[in-house]
Amino acid sequence: MSDTSLSNMSRQPETPLPSPARWVRDNLFSSISNTLQTIFFSLIIFGLLRWVLGQVFSEESDWESVATNIRLLMTYNYPADQFVRIWVAAGTVFFAIGSSFAAWNINPAITIRRLVVGFVGFGVFLLLCAVIAPSVAPSSIRNGMYIVGAVLAVGGLVVRRLVPGAHLRFVPFSRLLTGAAAIIVALIWILPFGRHSFSDGELTIERGVSVASSTKVPWTVLFVVLLVAFFGGRVLAARFAPVMRRALIAWWVIGPAFVLFLVLRDPAFDWGRVWSVDVPIAAAFALGGGALLYVLARPGRDDLARVVGAVLVAFAIFNWIAAFAGWYPMLQKVRISFLLVGLVTLLVPTFAGERSARIRLATSWIGLIVVVHWLLTAINTESTLVISAPPFLGGLVLTVTIAYYVMLASFPLGVLLSLARTSKMPIFRVLSTSFIEVVRGVPLITVLFFFSIMLPLFLPRGMGISDLAAVFIGYTLFSAAYMAENLRGGLQSVRRGQYEASDALGLSTVQRTVFIVLPQALRVAIPNLVGQAIATFKETSLIAIVGGFDILRIANSTIPNQPDFLGQKRPALLFIALVYFVFTYSMSKSAQNLEKKLQAGQAR
Amino acid sequence: MTIADRALTEELAGRKDMIVCRGVKKWFGDFQALRGVDITVKDREVMVVLGPSGSGKSTLIRCINRLEAHQEGSIVVDGVELTNDLRNIEKIRSEVGMVFQQFNLFPHLTVLDNVTLAPIWVRKKPKAEAVAKAMELLERVGIPEQAAKFPGQLSGGQQQRVAIARSLAMEPRVMLFDEPTSALDPEMIKEVLDVMKELARSGMTMIVVTHEMGFAREVADRLVFMESGEIVEVGTPEHFFANPKEERTKLFLSQIL
Ligand SMILES: Nc1ncnc2c1ncn2[C@@H]1O[C@H](COP(=O)(O)OP(=O)(O)O)[C@@H](O)[C@H]1O
Ligand SMILES: [Mg+2]
Repeated sequence: MSDTSLSNMSRQPETPLPSPARWVRDNLFSSISNTLQTIFFSLIIFGLLRWVLGQVFSEESDWESVATNIRLLMTYNYPADQFVRIWVAAGTVFFAIGSSFAAWNINPAITIRRLVVGFVGFGVFLLLCAVIAPSVAPSSIRNGMYIVGAVLAVGGLVVRRLVPGAHLRFVPFSRLLTGAAAIIVALIWILPFGRHSFSDGELTIERGVSVASSTKVPWTVLFVVLLVAFFGGRVLAARFAPVMRRALIAWWVIGPAFVLFLVLRDPAFDWGRVWSVDVPIAAAFALGGGALLYVLARPGRDDLARVVGAVLVAFAIFNWIAAFAGWYPMLQKVRISFLLVGLVTLLVPTFAGERSARIRLATSWIGLIVVVHWLLTAINTESTLVISAPPFLGGLVLTVTIAYYVMLASFPLGVLLSLARTSKMPIFRVLSTSFIEVVRGVPLITVLFFFSIMLPLFLPRGMGISDLAAVFIGYTLFSAAYMAENLRGGLQSVRRGQYEASDALGLSTVQRTVFIVLPQALRVAIPNLVGQAIATFKETSLIAIVGGFDILRIANSTIPNQPDFLGQKRPALLFIALVYFVFTYSMSKSAQNLEKKLQAGQAR
Repeated sequence: MTIADRALTEELAGRKDMIVCRGVKKWFGDFQALRGVDITVKDREVMVVLGPSGSGKSTLIRCINRLEAHQEGSIVVDGVELTNDLRNIEKIRSEVGMVFQQFNLFPHLTVLDNVTLAPIWVRKKPKAEAVAKAMELLERVGIPEQAAKFPGQLSGGQQQRVAIARSLAMEPRVMLFDEPTSALDPEMIKEVLDVMKELARSGMTMIVVTHEMGFAREVADRLVFMESGEIVEVGTPEHFFANPKEERTKLFLSQIL
């Protein structure tokens, strides 16, 4: 109740809707040319729809090829006895989504009218489909579309009649979410999807029943988790919203790494080595580095911190050179840790302060070391390595994983590149500009080939890299170059006065960049960045060419080669087109919402 | 020299030098914007700089906190000479506050965050202390109730007062104002000038570039008239408005009064 009135206060209600007949006359048939255009484009849309329906219901389309292979499309050959990992991973994602909705108080302004218009529109669309579907369409589906379409259209119109002021009343997000979850779960339990299974290479299909409970139950649990996280999160957010937001941001950045390892199977640690080597090294860096940062972050020790940081970074770079030349052995994680401690020390003057600030700095460092060392150790152990090989990780899971990590990793890289490109130091400018231009001049496919085939040849002795990691690195560098260009536009839009005001207040260059310039540049760059994220998501299909089994490759070559579905490409391709669309559309939709929210915040 | 002038000179002579410019010259490419400026601002003095557009007023005060670098001469602020040494620049910038014609508030931060950002990150103040101080300053400039809003939601006069509070939060020894009321609608000029008058009375050292003659007459200890990158005449308000010596000063005053 409370959020209904809140949203009513803070938002402009929509203007009243004219009657449907009136709307049609004013917008579609207002003049002769308008009428002609309406007719022309209606015919085109009608033709397209007919064509799509023809594809969907063609006699040559065996939709059982998709229904049977859903698991293949989603997770490829992920071992069935390990499936619970995927569900747990998905559970953490649903939990994070639910609590994020709550923590950021997501509340899109959707009036009852808009909801009704949506339902009626969808109902009419279904009726239209039922009418023009080709004659081969199964009558059960056609009748189903008639019934559901009529119920939605008529029901919607009735609701609109019965509810006064539908255009003024907002539907609270909590109800939308609950409603959507309930509908999806109900459909999973009711729809006669059938049960498909290969047993001993024989395909058996049990028709007319809903999917197996090994699918139904986990999905139901996932949506329950989503709702619990949302409603529980709302209770917490009422008091702890800022803390929750910080924790969730940390989770969205670090959490996926843990989820990935969950999916890639528990690392089979050699515990003897872990306790005798890995833990002592991590502890030394965590405590030694923490103490160093704590000492250097005392106000007035800026110069000392810069010198120590520079020395450490120089030492770390020297270590890498030594690794390539083979001068002395050193564990990879030690090299990385030296570089990290050097870079963080360079940042110390920015975050220096009184005691609590220094403690925060030291504890953040310890957290960072724990995470990095855990990842570095886990990534090199047996079971992670085995299952991350292409035969195991594939399908939609691979697509989403690669896309998410590439976006996550290329973001900071892109920020650094764009800053370097707009910096006053010629050396940075030249380096960054040449990198960006070279990468942008090369097709992604070349970059992927280079990294999966050539990179291992350039690595020093004893340093291997998995295919997936090579592809990931190549794709990240490629994406970072584009990210940098998109950000540059944003950086250029920040007015000179902002720099002058920051300087006049005595902010350092790093502080000015982090607190003033980047936040403003990012806002401007959001539309472009989202466009890029969508492109990144779609172009993951190219990893098929270097050996990955992504969703497109499965649809295009794996399924058509199964003896039961020889040559069946169409249904699976239509299906993955829908999957791609759902993902990209929700990305662009949520970006639009974010943009609106930021604008409302600044209210220029 | 009038009696008022003499009294002021004696009074000021006893005070410490806050800003000393000696033969400051500044070029933009081939164009010389400052042609050897000599000026001394004393502790707790309010100096108003007058002059036609393009005479180098902004350039002069921007050199004083190193938003622009001068090429010849010397500028010493509170005993620290401005050179390319980064540490001196940082030190001076945190001692010298600046208020711009276009406010230059940070649009993505709330009013409170605008005011507390630099104290927390530059002065390394604990957050609670910075917030308390910020609220005190917003109270002082008369808009404590706007603390949670974004700059874009405020009127021009309110924004400029936030900008003043933002500078004061750094507890500067000197405040520079570059035409702080020129971008404001007439009805908002007074609210900003009132804040500046209060500040002057509290003993802040100020250099103010402005065309508000009422303000200059009421608040300034000394007026400076600049033209073509040079200082033409310096004196008390009485001296300036009663009998300026230089022809160029007379001409300028007759145009704007
Ligand atoms: N960044 C700059 N580049 C080139 N010329 C400049 C720049 N800033 C100021 N100038 C020139 O220097 C002169 C003095 O400018 P300014 O100090 O802004 O004058 P005032 O503030 O008195 O109007 C003007 O002729 C102006 O065109
Ligand atoms: Mg000016």
